[in-house]
Amino acid sequence: MAITNLNQFLQDYFVSHRCQILENNDGILKIRLTEEMDRALMNRPFYWHYIKKIGQQGEPMNLTLITNPKKKDEKGEWIHFGSPRLQQIIHHLKENERFTKLFQKVETNQNTPLYPWLVVNLKQSYKGKQKKDEIISIGLQLVNGNMRLEMMDYLKNLPLQMAISDYCYTISPIIKLQSGFKRIEAVISTYIENQTHEWAVESIHELDEEIKTLQHFYEGRTEELEQMEKEMEEIKVRYHPIISQEVINGGIFYLTE
Amino acid sequence: MDSIQVNKDTAFITELESIVENDGPYSSWDLFSMAYHAELTTITPKFKGLRAFEYLPHIKFLDHQVDAAEQVIETMNGRAILADEVGLGKTIEAGLILKEYMIRGLVKNALILVPASLVSQWVRELNEKFYIPAVAHRKNYSWDQNIIISSLDTAKRSPHRESILDIEYDFILIDEAHKLKNHKTKNYEFVRSLKKKYCLLLTATPVQNQLIEIFNLISILKPGHLGNYDSFLENYGKDRSKIKQDAYLKQLIQKVMIRNTRQNTTLNNTKRNIQTVWIDFKPEEKEVYDDLESASAGFSSFSKITFLREICSSREACYLSLKKLHEENPNPYIEQVNSKIEKLPHHSKAEKLVELIKQFGDEKVIVFTEYRASQLYLQWILKQHGITSVPFRGGFKRGKKDWMKQLFQNHAQVLIATEAGGEGINLQFCNHLINYDLPWNPMRLEQRIGRIHRYGQEKDVQIYNFATKGTIEEHIMTLLYEKINLFEQVIGNLDAILEELNISNMESEIESIYSESSTVGEVKIKLDNLTSIIKSSMEQSQEEQNYGYN
Repeated sequence: MAITNLNQFLQDYFVSHRCQILENNDGILKIRLTEEMDRALMNRPFYWHYIKKIGQQGEPMNLTLITNPKKKDEKGEWIHFGSPRLQQIIHHLKENERFTKLFQKVETNQNTPLYPWLVVNLKQSYKGKQKKDEIISIGLQLVNGNMRLEMMDYLKNLPLQMAISDYCYTISPIIKLQSGFKRIEAVISTYIENQTHEWAVESIHELDEEIKTLQHFYEGRTEELEQMEKEMEEIKVRYHPIISQEVINGGIFYLTE
Repeated sequence: MDSIQVNKDTAFITELESIVENDGPYSSWDLFSMAYHAELTTITPKFKGLRAFEYLPHIKFLDHQVDAAEQVIETMNGRAILADEVGLGKTIEAGLILKEYMIRGLVKNALILVPASLVSQWVRELNEKFYIPAVAHRKNYSWDQNIIISSLDTAKRSPHRESILDIEYDFILIDEAHKLKNHKTKNYEFVRSLKKKYCLLLTATPVQNQLIEIFNLISILKPGHLGNYDSFLENYGKDRSKIKQDAYLKQLIQKVMIRNTRQNTTLNNTKRNIQTVWIDFKPEEKEVYDDLESASAGFSSFSKITFLREICSSREACYLSLKKLHEENPNPYIEQVNSKIEKLPHHSKAEKLVELIKQFGDEKVIVFTEYRASQLYLQWILKQHGITSVPFRGGFKRGKKDWMKQLFQNHAQVLIATEAGGEGINLQFCNHLINYDLPWNPMRLEQRIGRIHRYGQEKDVQIYNFATKGTIEEHIMTLLYEKINLFEQVIGNLDAILEELNISNMESEIESIYSESSTVGEVKIKLDNLTSIIKSSMEQSQEEQNYGYN
């Protein structure tokens, strides 16, 4: 599920960073930043450097973000999917929220075991003539080796917290993180092998065609060998099919099963 | 598929291990899942289609611009010539393409080479419209920036050249690419040796003289697409009319080039209505004009032309020039003329201007004059009649230009400008334009009209050309402008035509006709010859451009 309600998303983001919401009305969100968030978003390192040097606390700024396009002319910043501010916030999230360790919240007065899961969210990109991405979310139970796809959708229905609940204890993993990750990679490799990859076939066809054209162009022009090789390399870079994987974030989740 | 290269993420799990070892820091569930959702939002789920629109909700793209961008990305695989006629938004198309590639993560660094005078305009356009963090190249900057804009002349010079050639660029854009038509030039050799993935060449005039020019442009993008040099020369030679006959060649060209014309885009909806407004001099004004015309002593024929043009514009313009000349070089004749000018009543043309503007009610009007002195005078006289106006000059700093534009848009009825300035401002919210004096350079006229007759204009554009009867203005109006029909049509390739005819400066061309002719009749014949030549090459060229690529 992508971000559908930008206003809600932003409010959650600032609340999670312990900023005070001064006002949120009809698509106008007014926030009092914390020092940490001011430093992260407002791009005024000299102010903070100076104020700390003279031994003062410093005053974080207020930020007004407008998500309602009808109000975009009011005082504040109009924020939308292309605006630099949202890009900055998204970048800040991606940089900082990469690792976690969470526990399922359990209301109990009996000793309850929690099992460790390795959760990996990964972006896989297919790049040939064109490019597309997909996101894969996989969980691996590190005791019995069970695997679950669409892991994030599963997790969102569980109550999760950063500290372990009373009466709960954790089971030690049998599968090590490195080898757990290898198992996840193996599943993804199988998934890749089972696809037909028309996109790659088309790209390679295009690559061959352009190389042929290029060779014809340089026929009998041996003095331009270097230029030809440069251009050939460019064609390869442009068309050669590549699948690349990049982990968005991941961590250890202790769950009741 | 063995031929697919798979790049895995090897760093993550090791990092996670060491985080676990140190027991933190960890993200909360809320932020962890927000980062995941943010990624879901920013990925590109399909090979086809443009995602950039979601990122640019404030821009209203025209159909032909969207089509062009889609075609470049989806079928031309990112290497193309954008050859729309002027004013159709090649910059917009290029910005959209670059934006899409950046969103898809296919372009991280780019080199944008444009004429020096357009660098800051490109920076602004990409920053403000497209939120593309492009920067202009400055002294001592590294060329290894993300998105860098520079002039071709700077880039090709040492030591820049060497650093640039070392870098592998994801995206290269060259504006005014017709400068690369000749493969023997330094420019061409430099551009061809750039390391690039995607590449856009922007030009309104892909073929000016010979078909080999388009061969050279295409060889930058897709060497061999039109065969090799020798075979091409053999088949098509130097004759550009071959493009008409050869459907196959046309088809090949269309695979790497997009050309929209006003005729095939929705922009054609708004028309230009042109009206010539004739002014009669009052007897005392005519007397001064005649005095100046018959004067022979004290100044060159070049200055004489200037004075004649000035007296047609305002008393002030002429008075100041004469006074300056008199101070440098005292002359009783000038003194006499100037004392006559001092006694002149309000200028007939200015009175006509007031009369015309009053007819518009409160609609916005742009007035162009050639002279600073006239600009001040007009501002004053409009104020006397309760008409609000703001001045505009090419020399204003950027901030002041924007401020004047805003004042005009929100508070004043009239903008009085001395300079259209190719890199000036766009004023589509206004649809009346008065050429208080006509420039002698048709390109400048097109630039003036282009300020308001461009995409974004919703009404028909009304253009009023002032000319004083029985003066030098009448010749220019009837012999130059009306004859080549300059007002009605947009001649995107006029600059190319003039270049081809070896007329680099129209203004000095006309000036020399005046100064080298002894009678008015001779002037007329020479002007007539000049316009006939321009007219015939224009017709020929128009036909070829349209037939060849559409």
